[in-house]
Amino acid sequence: MDADGHWAQGSAAAAAAFWRRSPAFTPSTVRIQYSGSARAPLRDAELAPEKAGPDSASGGSPALADAECGDADTPETPGSRASGADAGADAGADAGGDPVLQKFHAALSVASIDLAQLQRLSWKGIPRQFRGTAWRLLMGYLPLNASRRDPTLQRKRREYDDWVSQTFARGEESLDRALWHQIRIDVPRTMPGSPIFQAPRVQRGLERVLYCWAARHPASGFVQGINDLLTPFFYVFMEPHLPATLGGAEQAAAAIDALDGAVVAAVEADSFWCLTKLLDGIQDNYTHAQPGIQRQIVKMKELVARIDGGLAAHLDAEGVEYIQFAFRWMNCLLMREVNLESTVRMWDTYFAEPDGFSSFHIYVCAAFLLKWSKELAQLDFQQILFFLQQPPTASWSAKDVELLLSEAYMYKCLYHDSPSHYASSAPGKR
Amino acid sequence: MAGSDEYDYLFKIVLIGDSGVGKSNLLSRFTRNEFNLESKSTIGVEFATRSIQVDSKTIKAQIWDTAGQERYRAITSAYYRGAVGALLVYDIAKHPTYENVTRWLTELRDHADSNIVIMLVGNKSDLRHLRAVPTDEAKQFAAENGLFFIETSALDSSNVEQSFQQILTEIYRIVSNKAIESSQDNAHLGSGAQPIHVPAVTDYDKMTSGCC
Repeated sequence: MDADGHWAQGSAAAAAAFWRRSPAFTPSTVRIQYSGSARAPLRDAELAPEKAGPDSASGGSPALADAECGDADTPETPGSRASGADAGADAGADAGGDPVLQKFHAALSVASIDLAQLQRLSWKGIPRQFRGTAWRLLMGYLPLNASRRDPTLQRKRREYDDWVSQTFARGEESLDRALWHQIRIDVPRTMPGSPIFQAPRVQRGLERVLYCWAARHPASGFVQGINDLLTPFFYVFMEPHLPATLGGAEQAAAAIDALDGAVVAAVEADSFWCLTKLLDGIQDNYTHAQPGIQRQIVKMKELVARIDGGLAAHLDAEGVEYIQFAFRWMNCLLMREVNLESTVRMWDTYFAEPDGFSSFHIYVCAAFLLKWSKELAQLDFQQILFFLQQPPTASWSAKDVELLLSEAYMYKCLYHDSPSHYASSAPGKR
Repeated sequence: MAGSDEYDYLFKIVLIGDSGVGKSNLLSRFTRNEFNLESKSTIGVEFATRSIQVDSKTIKAQIWDTAGQERYRAITSAYYRGAVGALLVYDIAKHPTYENVTRWLTELRDHADSNIVIMLVGNKSDLRHLRAVPTDEAKQFAAENGLFFIETSALDSSNVEQSFQQILTEIYRIVSNKAIESSQDNAHLGSGAQPIHVPAVTDYDKMTSGCC
């Protein structure tokens, strides 16, 4: 871990100090015109197919959205930079005066991307305008080598489109009835509060992705909650193409309806492939009896007992079983416990961690539970379950998520590969 | 500091039935008088409680709302143990959810106590124009299978209170009769009857950890 990686995973104060030390850039020093530059960094908007322009198939680095670089703002804190409110496809502005933006800009500008470096940067949160690209790269969906990106994207998107055409060519009657029925029930209740996910065009896309994925993975098929896991991809990939302020459901639906067909198709296809990659790593969470989740819960319980014997003993004394509250934490990767923005920020780190969604997630869940240790100690069985079914995370910001991730990282450093560390001294240990 | 809520009996109830029939909304209507058209699917199991009065006794219902999807059966069926009542819910506007009632009964036979009280609940009775399951047919099926029967609407609240009241009252009757019988002839109850043989005012919350 280099110096960068180190402080970011340490205290928030250290990170803030770093930002204060960072050189300030004046707007004039960072006003760079990217358009047409062969070495321009990848940004989200460019990954969507061009609107059938003459040079859209010219290979090499695709033409960029013709956004001019914006002005430099005051350097943001790590907490705020990943969740700025108004970055859209036209936000431009990449490098700004923000050293983080510049680092991402530099990391993504090279012909062959250094994955380890991108992981280190991403651990601390990916700036909004680079997130879609960074995710595609971190997932191994987009090749690190620039010359292979366009052909790969074209091939994968076409492959998905072909599947969709074949699968749905003969109408709904030809589909697996039970599977289609379950997906049709669950798509409307996916992110019900989000205007984007209430848009009919997005819902049809979710249905197709989920059906195609499930039909190709019969050992698990569609399991409730997988629809949740699809939403961050749709959100991150589609968001750069949407107006900065969406308004209510009707306006969002109209904005999404107005998007170019090729853009929406690309968002859908990329979401499909990234969901596939994600689920490849956690497939036994969703097969019969969900052994992956059962295993994770056992590990989490052991971990909590080693870290906080008092809490472990209290839960035990109250008859609370981890499966009663942590099942959902594993099944939906804590997406039901935090809002979508927070999830997206968590995933920046998960993509950068080895086995982020299986192994590191256990540490995050343990940190999440331990966060409420004091409150839980005062509660009985029923109150504990009520509390954990609806943890007080409604007001969480990126800062809270980053603190959680830092705590999880600390636990991982302390307890990973040291299975008996503190085990004997923990009263809650079996 | 709660946990001090007093009750004479604590009954564990499970809510089961196909996905999307309205189990979670029945529960939220009964326990919080809330209905949410946009509720998310239940993952695994969720938990709520409410106390009611029967014959001047306080009965606390500890209700476990389960995910309807088949994949979750292995997880959710563990919650059947110790349950003294089950609300088996279908959607009166979706015939397949009624057809699957027999499969749910098999689930209960396999995993629940044999003397569990079961109530068949036809939910969404507000969808009159979409009705796919005739009331008489379901009523007859229930009678043939020894189930209580009611139609409810979590949306407009009709019969929700009654459904829970009725099943809890039935369980209470069985329990209090058993208690009388057992005190009269000192008969030993089978292990299956154990969960509903509830001493008055006990700290009973811990039973979920597997005392039965």
